[in-house]
Amino acid sequence: MAEEFNTEDMLDMYLLENGQLLEKLQETVLEQKDAECFDEDAINEIFRTMHTIKGSSGIMMFDNVTKIAHKLEDIFYYLRESKPDNVPHLELVSHVLDVADFITAEMDKIRDGNDPDGDPTELIDAMDVFLKQIKHEITKVEKELPPENVYVAPNQFYIAPVATSGSRFYQIVITYKSDTQMSNIRAYTAVYALKESAEDIIYFPEDIISNEASSDLILKYGFRMLLQAQLSEEEVRKIIDTSSEIESIDIREVAAEGFFNSDFLKPIELDTAVPAKEEKEEKAEESKPEEKQGKDIAPGDYVIQSKEPGKAKQLNKNKQPKASKQSFINVNVEKMDQLMDLIGELVIAEAVVLQNPDLKVPGLELQNFQKAAGQLTKISTDLQDVIMSMRMMPLTTTFQKMNRIVFDASRKLGKDIDLEVVGENTEVDKNIIEHISDPLMHLIRNAVDHGIEMPEERLAAGKAKKGKVTLSAKNEGGKVWITVQDDGFGMDRTKILKKAKKNGLLGSKNPETMTDREVYQFITYPGFSTNETVTEFSGRGVGMDVVVKNIQTIGGTLDIDSVPGSGSTMTMKIPLTLAIIDGIVMETADSFFVVETGIVKQFVSVKEDMMIHEPGGEEYVMIRGECYPVIRLGRYLSLSDQDTSVEDGMMVILEMEEKTVCLLVDNLIGEQEIVVKPIPKYIKKVKGLSGCTQLGDGSIALILDPAGLIG
Amino acid sequence: MSEEMTTELSEGTTQRDRYMTFKSGNEYFAIGIEYINEIIPFQRITVIPETENYIKGLINLRGKIIPVVDVALRFNQPPLEYNDRTCIIVIDVKSTVVGLIVERIAEVVTIEEEDILPPPSIGRSNKVQNKYVYGIGKTGDSVKLLLDLDKFLHDEETGITEQADSFAELEE
Repeated sequence: MAEEFNTEDMLDMYLLENGQLLEKLQETVLEQKDAECFDEDAINEIFRTMHTIKGSSGIMMFDNVTKIAHKLEDIFYYLRESKPDNVPHLELVSHVLDVADFITAEMDKIRDGNDPDGDPTELIDAMDVFLKQIKHEITKVEKELPPENVYVAPNQFYIAPVATSGSRFYQIVITYKSDTQMSNIRAYTAVYALKESAEDIIYFPEDIISNEASSDLILKYGFRMLLQAQLSEEEVRKIIDTSSEIESIDIREVAAEGFFNSDFLKPIELDTAVPAKEEKEEKAEESKPEEKQGKDIAPGDYVIQSKEPGKAKQLNKNKQPKASKQSFINVNVEKMDQLMDLIGELVIAEAVVLQNPDLKVPGLELQNFQKAAGQLTKISTDLQDVIMSMRMMPLTTTFQKMNRIVFDASRKLGKDIDLEVVGENTEVDKNIIEHISDPLMHLIRNAVDHGIEMPEERLAAGKAKKGKVTLSAKNEGGKVWITVQDDGFGMDRTKILKKAKKNGLLGSKNPETMTDREVYQFITYPGFSTNETVTEFSGRGVGMDVVVKNIQTIGGTLDIDSVPGSGSTMTMKIPLTLAIIDGIVMETADSFFVVETGIVKQFVSVKEDMMIHEPGGEEYVMIRGECYPVIRLGRYLSLSDQDTSVEDGMMVILEMEEKTVCLLVDNLIGEQEIVVKPIPKYIKKVKGLSGCTQLGDGSIALILDPAGLIG
Repeated sequence: MSEEMTTELSEGTTQRDRYMTFKSGNEYFAIGIEYINEIIPFQRITVIPETENYIKGLINLRGKIIPVVDVALRFNQPPLEYNDRTCIIVIDVKSTVVGLIVERIAEVVTIEEEDILPPPSIGRSNKVQNKYVYGIGKTGDSVKLLLDLDKFLHDEETGITEQADSFAELEE
């Protein structure tokens, strides 16, 4: 490329924008996957999306992406123009999804710094066949074929063609939406696209690449070009119109005489003169294109620019209202994390100041200080709430991905399955969303593969032919519950028990007395799969234990329930946030520990005679007729050699996943908000600990991992 | 731009041959000064249960929680008595920040590249790898053992004492 510019910014923009477009695309496609065919809006949207991707990929010279996007665009161009009937819808859907997958995979490669080297030939060939097929259908009913949407692969070198008598001259103004980022790059995109076919091209601002401030000029006055080319107006428009950020394109053909002396480019510098001049030009020239469209507008009529006929108008109609878009900005996640860290430190620093030992002089009057301190506390609490809410994201995107998984899996398995999504607007901390995507995918796949029966079996069992998987999310008791429910045949207790016995998982347990839940819990053991045959989707037995592990790392739990014959329910209960939790601080063997408030059932002071000592060294305590196992924290963590008497310590009863233990600690310190920090990676994972935190006096407390303690 | 680069370069040259030395057991060890963030006085350490014995625990360094390693224990040397003069060297190796408790910090020395010898292979057995010491630096009359911090932090087995002993023999 002739000009030098920062491709990194462009690349980021490319990835971000196309990523969003593809997500939207999949959503649209999946929404209508069960319909007879795509409606007009969807066709237009897919067409536009592919057009945009083609354009931007062309600029970035990702040829394979360009080609495949072009092919799909062809199909939708045809659909849009000819509106054929009898299009095999499901096949079309899968083509669109294949293309989306291909481009997503290429973008992943680009993101990782690799070359996008995927080979689209196969997909393109398949789509060619498809296109021919639907066209063939159409010729049978004898409709007029639209002209082929011909795409010329971009040359990588710019050699300006020589002017010939066939040249035409255009004045072009491209107006971008007011919230467009890096409009200068986009303008360059247009210039670059035109260069291939242009004989000459001049534009203003001239320094679009080197001068970032030019983007402001472009946003304010539009991007102006003088173009000499052997192209029709429609062709020029098509070349330029590659970006969804373009609000309108104003193209006027002018006479060759004085073309390059025209002051068309200049008005931009004369601020006040611009609107008047533009208006005049419009009045003078608007009549020409309008007549072409056969509209009855008298010369001199004032025509508002946005009413410009053609594609631009159509584009605008389908856009979201601008106002809602402007109220969002994209922020780098790293910056958010940094802010989160800083606020965490602020909370600690505040505690250090407000609980400073220097303030604890007897008889010290601190009225004003206390007032000010109260104010400070309020602000820092608010600040915490705001940053927390900023990090909260709805589960919508995650759930949408599941739609795709159900669709793919059910088709490949030959099952007919509906996914019902409930409560996808439930908000969860961004970090947590990242962690639940994988486990959720596993659960959904399991439901589709193991849960739902084949259609014939369903009919035989007197169920609807169509299986149903329900994915729902809700807030409950400071946690988010995400449930995957299927109406399949549920889990077979005997089968699980048999397998458990075979794998030697039963141990000394008596299978007769085990509750259903205990039995179902076996499926979360490593290497456990009751599915006889391994399929592409599940059955390898590596699934559920990983799922459970992943959920536990974020402090969540998985409940499994099943009614034989009518389906299974998997419920993930995950915390809303990982960063700040309510915790009980306690002391053992001169070290501080924190346990999450949510799982503490009660504190009990016990007498020695309530203890039961087993010969094996295990201890139990009887509290109000209930017997609980006892963990002496100091001994458990090998911190102290000699046991303190239970009467000096305090029993903390923890309850989790229907298991209860009593934790014996030396002292309770109090309850406070804890900023969770990870244990430095250098230290290998320690059993029973999940993190650390800093207390008000600057000392460090270790956060106990209840799952590790109880399990 | 170019100015920045030159300052960086000159910093590089000033740091390259500089080493911080400390005493542990009978030996003097040296760490490239570019790895050292700071030296802080000894402070209260929160014990992490059930880790390797040389990981003493965590300290709070102005809001950052970092692990601390007792160098003497890492080398299987007799444990130290910590006192007011015990120091913690905070190092940063490939973004792993760790505090090192050392018996005594000596001085910062310059060791030219040509004064660094590869550790001699140890006669007794070829199997003994030069684990944490990647070179021997000569400064004046004395010899410093140059520590390979990456291995020092991450290698599981020890064996340094043996090595140090044989170096001591060599010296004599």
